[in-house]
Amino acid sequence: MTLDSPMRINPMIRHRASHIGRAVPRREDRSSLMGRQRYIADLKLPGMLEVSFVRSTEPHARIVSIDTGPALALPGVHAVFTGADLADVELFPQKILYIQPVHQPALAVDRVRYVGSPYAAVVATDRYVAEDAATLVATHTEFDPLPTVADLDQALADDAPRLFDDWPDNYLVNFPADKPEVRKAFEEADHTFSDTYVSQRQTGLPLECRGVLADEVDGEFTIWTSTQSPHIVRTTIAEMTGIPEPRIRVIVPAMGGGFGTKTHIYPEDVVMPWIARKLGRPVRWLEDRFENLVSAVHARDQRHDVDVAYDDDGTIRAIRCKAYCDVGSGEIFMPGTATVFVTGGVLTGGYDFRNMEVHHFCVVTNKTPSGAYRGFGTPEGMFVMERIIDRVAHLTGTDRVEIRRRMILQEEQMPYIMHGGGRVDSGSHAKGFERAVEMIGESLERVRARYADDPDVRVGVGYTNYVEPTTPTYHLTTGHWAGYDSATLRVDPDGAVRVGLGTTALGQGTETTAAQLAADALGVDPDDVTVVMGDTDRAPYGLGAWGSRSAIVMSGSILMAADRVMTKAQEIAAHMLEAAADDIVLTDGRFHVAGSDTPTVTWSQVATAAWVRTVDLPQGLEPGLEMSGYFEPPELEHLPGMDGKVNAAASWSNGAHAGVVSVRVSTGEIKIEDYVVVHDCGTMINPMIIDGQVHGGVAQGIAGAMFEHFQYDPETARPLFASFMEYLYPTCSDVPMMTVEHFETPSPDQPLGVKGCGEGGTIGPAAVVAGAVDDALSDLGVEIKATPVTPSAIRKAIREAADGGGER
Amino acid sequence: MKPAAFDYYRPGTVEDALAALGTSETAKVLAGGQSLIPAMNFRLSQPDLLVDIGGVGGLDRLEVGPSGVTIGASVTQSRVMASDEVAIAVPGLRRALRHVAHLQIRNRGTVCGSLAHADPAAELPALAVACGATLFLQGTAGRRTVDAGDFFLGPFWTDLAEGEIITGVHFPSEAADTVTVLDELAWRSGDFAITGLAAALTTRDGTVSGARLVSFGVGGAPRRMAGAEQAVLGFALGDDSSALYGAAYEDGFDAVDDIHASAEYRREALGALAVRSVRAVLASNGNGTGV
Amino acid sequence: MMDTNPGLREVDVSVSINGTQVSHRVPARLLLSDFIRDVVGLTGTHVGCEHGYCGACTVIVDGDAIRSCSTLAAQIDGSAIRTVEDLATDGELTPMQQAFHENHAMQCGFCTAGFLMTLESVDPDGYQEKEQVIDLLSGNLCRCTGYHNIFNAVCSTWGVDS
Ligand SMILES: Cc1cc2nc3c(=O)[nH]c(=O)nc-3n(C[C@H](O)[C@H](O)[C@H](O)COP(=O)(O)OP(=O)(O)OC[C@H]3O[C@@H](n4cnc5c(N)ncnc54)[C@H](O)[C@@H]3O)c2cc1C
Ligand code: FES
Ligand code: FES
Repeated sequence: MTLDSPMRINPMIRHRASHIGRAVPRREDRSSLMGRQRYIADLKLPGMLEVSFVRSTEPHARIVSIDTGPALALPGVHAVFTGADLADVELFPQKILYIQPVHQPALAVDRVRYVGSPYAAVVATDRYVAEDAATLVATHTEFDPLPTVADLDQALADDAPRLFDDWPDNYLVNFPADKPEVRKAFEEADHTFSDTYVSQRQTGLPLECRGVLADEVDGEFTIWTSTQSPHIVRTTIAEMTGIPEPRIRVIVPAMGGGFGTKTHIYPEDVVMPWIARKLGRPVRWLEDRFENLVSAVHARDQRHDVDVAYDDDGTIRAIRCKAYCDVGSGEIFMPGTATVFVTGGVLTGGYDFRNMEVHHFCVVTNKTPSGAYRGFGTPEGMFVMERIIDRVAHLTGTDRVEIRRRMILQEEQMPYIMHGGGRVDSGSHAKGFERAVEMIGESLERVRARYADDPDVRVGVGYTNYVEPTTPTYHLTTGHWAGYDSATLRVDPDGAVRVGLGTTALGQGTETTAAQLAADALGVDPDDVTVVMGDTDRAPYGLGAWGSRSAIVMSGSILMAADRVMTKAQEIAAHMLEAAADDIVLTDGRFHVAGSDTPTVTWSQVATAAWVRTVDLPQGLEPGLEMSGYFEPPELEHLPGMDGKVNAAASWSNGAHAGVVSVRVSTGEIKIEDYVVVHDCGTMINPMIIDGQVHGGVAQGIAGAMFEHFQYDPETARPLFASFMEYLYPTCSDVPMMTVEHFETPSPDQPLGVKGCGEGGTIGPAAVVAGAVDDALSDLGVEIKATPVTPSAIRKAIREAADGGGER
Repeated sequence: MKPAAFDYYRPGTVEDALAALGTSETAKVLAGGQSLIPAMNFRLSQPDLLVDIGGVGGLDRLEVGPSGVTIGASVTQSRVMASDEVAIAVPGLRRALRHVAHLQIRNRGTVCGSLAHADPAAELPALAVACGATLFLQGTAGRRTVDAGDFFLGPFWTDLAEGEIITGVHFPSEAADTVTVLDELAWRSGDFAITGLAAALTTRDGTVSGARLVSFGVGGAPRRMAGAEQAVLGFALGDDSSALYGAAYEDGFDAVDDIHASAEYRREALGALAVRSVRAVLASNGNGTGV
Repeated sequence: MMDTNPGLREVDVSVSINGTQVSHRVPARLLLSDFIRDVVGLTGTHVGCEHGYCGACTVIVDGDAIRSCSTLAAQIDGSAIRTVEDLATDGELTPMQQAFHENHAMQCGFCTAGFLMTLESVDPDGYQEKEQVIDLLSGNLCRCTGYHNIFNAVCSTWGVDS
């Protein structure tokens, strides 16, 4: 088919009821409700052994020696492997050329750079014994500690200890910038100010930890792993171990969430099949929560040193932002370097503002490597932008809503090219903001009235207008893969449809939405569609589920494949009906000649001819009724142009968030009293599922705004966390109920006008909460510059404002 | 996260439990396990013998009498919380237990286990001190009783001798003119306190005539707040609170600094909690309704 | 006076689980969560933290919802356990399960069993206020739903004004 934009449902199909756009209940639910979903931890194979990884207890050290003897002597222990044993495994690939070389082996060999770094693996009859042995290996490892680097300042000091001896410093990425227009604006503007904004270290924290089960039979490997990108895992394992790729089958069982953390290819993904081959037995490793906290990627650890030039009337003239991302030890594939570029590129959110100069830096420290987490740099950027806007509003006495109204993107500006090249294709930015202001205004009054008699309580409101880049290129993240994904559609002889997808499911209801899409694309009932994904043998090669991309890529690839299936089916039906293919239409699952309701042939008759009664096929037509579509989203760019700009996302959803908080001055206690979201992700395939994505995203955004924070000892670089006692994952009491409304501005470029919605919810809350707290405490001169906004942080800000004479 | 190996013993009598504890230096009593088992899963605690007191006869007694409430060592927090008689005799217990963890944990966690564990941020130790509770201890050397006020020595450190167990605790009935309340600041629902205050306040004619104020989550153990207890005497609802606030703030002199809050924060919060608890009790006309 | 440690490294555990009597000799250190999942083979009960915080492992023992990761199998010898597999009868969902489905109260489904068992263990009469429902739900963590639709599912089933 031609790639008409936007791709539509084949006009030959006539529906009485379309499935796209309906809140179709999820087909995934029943098994979970009955306890019958199979997650990685639920899988066992005969003769299976369990693995426990031994992880560094030192933030930075040379490994002097490892005595595996005592562990091996323990009954039930089958083997202990150290980094040196894996000499036949290649280093993790590093495909991005502009960053410093990291040289990451599958298991650390002679040096560890963070607490949690795996350097040995113990194989035993069960996990209990494996842990006994892992403890013994740990206590029989001699480390020679090296000086540590616990944060950005330490890492960038002139005499900083270096993590990698062959680097000149600790910059993994060092991209300064210089823009004459920005310099000029600073000279001309009425005023300037400088400030620093900080986002803390967090992680995606799926409720299910990771896990790998690997088996090898006659050189054929089956690897079950809890990943968002099975095909990429497979390619990487092949590349690192030399196992021929066709002999590797990667299967993703049901997944208990991922949120970006499971997009990375971790050491365990590679080591487990290696052990299975070595021992000739199936082996399973299940990550426990402690391992998860110290060794699954962290994220969001950014600092922004900004200079802002503005005029008396509240016009922002230029922003210079030095964006630093503390990427931990950097020892992770794919590297955690791309987020800071996303932060820089989308920092201006839903606002018309281009006079930006962003410097991008990624810096290594002796902490857990950082990488992907839902939002991927956008929440950090939005926090900075809204802080700047609120500050300018305050300094110039401009109303905070008014200043935003002046800056917000207007429909007639579409497509709007952002300062970094992001091409916002369409949206409801201004309309959405007005609606959010209206909704929150009502509750603001209510909440103010509620606390009118309590002088200790202050009430405030905060706003944000963001854009959500969806379906991004993977090329800038991986240096390798790029943007497409795939679908294979087969109509079986009984007329039922099987869809194979290159994307995966981790809880977002992909099976349900894919069935809705395929049902409409082939004019069948969703119940007659079976969706298969997360299995490299049963589904076509694809890049997986991340970057809010599934909606676009599966719409595109399903429509492409369906169109090919339809064309062939029309030909077969035409032959059976003795008519011309062009005259054949499909009405409610039956083919007939346009204009006459009978005779008809069914999908089953067509498919039976294609697969079984091939004698009924038109002469010369190839048997079979299975077609694939490999969909590369239009407008998506993979490399910057000469001007350094790139539209790294296929589409741009948008949203306005607003929230009312109450703050107790005496204790700094903060409560989100109301939270509203006006959301626009283009055409909605399943509004119920989209609402769910928004709710969950907002909750995670609030977790980042107020609760979760990985802290390290500044002296030793040791983690000050080991459990949920320290890492404050919010409960139902801590997250407000929210109101979500939608506008539906279809993407002009993408199939069906779909945009994607997985991450938007997380982007708003940090900016909203900070803005609302500032507003509530404005008479005290408080200004929030960092997350999380805890009661302790609020009290500190109140004290500091009082000490500074309430100036800000 | 699996516990290291240990031997398990479930005695039927206190005597057998004590004898078993005497056979090993690292033996531990297992009550509800809600603190001990997570710690063992992290291998922070590696006893070689666990003596499960869940089956010891008599320790499951929950008795409400004219003098107060007596809670045996295997009585769960949920059972105490559910009892209306307990709530009438010692209303502070239900009020405090609302802040302790969540339903599923209280369903196994014991009141005495919490006292024995002596987490500095736990509610029940502070409540015990505020109420003037008495602990019943038994060791191979015999039985003794200890006032809650003398029992908590520091973080996870009590007056329990090696091999000694708590068999029960007695909370005296609340006097008619006294109200016991517990308030705290915790970042999440169900968490241990960042700063907490347990207060037993006696009022006469709308002013405070007697007070036992106990801080927790501030320093290393629940502690009577000498300054605030003095400053609060004679306090009435509309009074200026700065002296009370200041005294409570000073009582937090050894507040800890940690990843959740600064020491300064804890001292301020203690001041604020003192004022707000006292006002809440006075506002309830001294009978505790609604607090 | 005892001279030697009277404890056992392995213990016999006999329980009724979802109405079926089972007996196994297991290591004393075996967690109840592992007993249910690995020994009995009922994997609907999940493990998300193994230190008492997340509630994914919640099961009902003698009528009470408890954390199976913070309980030893040895401790509950002689008890009756119920797990998520015991909720639906002959494939027919309970009203609460049905409400979870209709309200989209689950995404990845990893937390679902824990929530359902907590809810199953209590008498709804004690939870007729919105705040009580929120407090009850706070003992289980969910990373996907933001709790919004779980709360709605419970309120609709129990007739609570949300
Ligand atoms: C997620 C979570 C949240 C929690 N939140 C809170 C909270 O907010 N506030 C709070 O106070 N607690 C909280 N707890 C702890 C909980 O209240 C525990 O139940 C309690 O601290 C210990 O009681 P237990 O019966 O479970 O004792 P166990 O865990 O069995 O034992 C704890 C310790 O006390 C010793 N011990 C127990 N009983 C006796 C006895 N009779 N004599 C001598 N020694 C004994 C044990 O040897 C062990 O060292 C939380 C726990 C979890 C898992
Ligand atoms: S696994 Fe038991 S509470 Fe998390
Ligand atoms: S649905 Fe995924 S954790 Fe709750």
